[in-house]
Amino acid sequence: MNSTLSILLASFTTPIDIPTDPKAMMWMFPLLLAIVIVYKATKLRVIFPKKFIREVTLLFLTISVFMILAGVALNVFVALLTRS
Amino acid sequence: MAKRSDMDHGLLLLIVALLAWAVPGAGHFFIKERRRAYIIFITIAALFLIGLYVGSIAVIDPVGAWPWYVGQMLASPAVAIFGHATRSGGLESFGKPHDVGQIYTAIAGGLNLLCILSAVFMAHSGRGEIIGSEEDE
Repeated sequence: MNSTLSILLASFTTPIDIPTDPKAMMWMFPLLLAIVIVYKATKLRVIFPKKFIREVTLLFLTISVFMILAGVALNVFVALLTRS
Repeated sequence: MAKRSDMDHGLLLLIVALLAWAVPGAGHFFIKERRRAYIIFITIAALFLIGLYVGSIAVIDPVGAWPWYVGQMLASPAVAIFGHATRSGGLESFGKPHDVGQIYTAIAGGLNLLCILSAVFMAHSGRGEIIGSEEDE
């Protein structure tokens, strides 16, 4: 029991390895999900589980798609600028 | 039902705000918004713990990164315990994991501020008890 607890606590004293590459951008999605969940939890008048899940999914997908499109547009813009 | 005095009402709002700061979701729980409270607690606690796991508790740095520390402290006053631990030394975190951990924990604090304001507003307008009973039905 004590060794399990020690291992658990030790895992919070050493950072995990995240390379600086495009895949690191994926870390924004859990953050976005948490923001959407808390926003909807404070915004909806009454929390009904089905409605809540539907609203969270819709907002999460909408913002995700917008951010992906913005990322693609910025990449294309930079590629056009640096080509010449 | 007797109307609460202004002082009672102010005290209620203060208690709700302090509870909501001490434990994310506790303010909503106190005003009988149980579902909202569970969702807020699980989400903010998970976000904060993921941040600590990714960047280690060294991301809580009251000396070298105090503006971030202010944001992190909004998640709970208990964060000061981690701040005390990292101040006294030995733990270090750099690069991407540090950035991700810092952002996650500070955003968790920012989200809790939103929840504190939400709980206080609901307590002020009396919505908590009304909506809480609607959810129970």
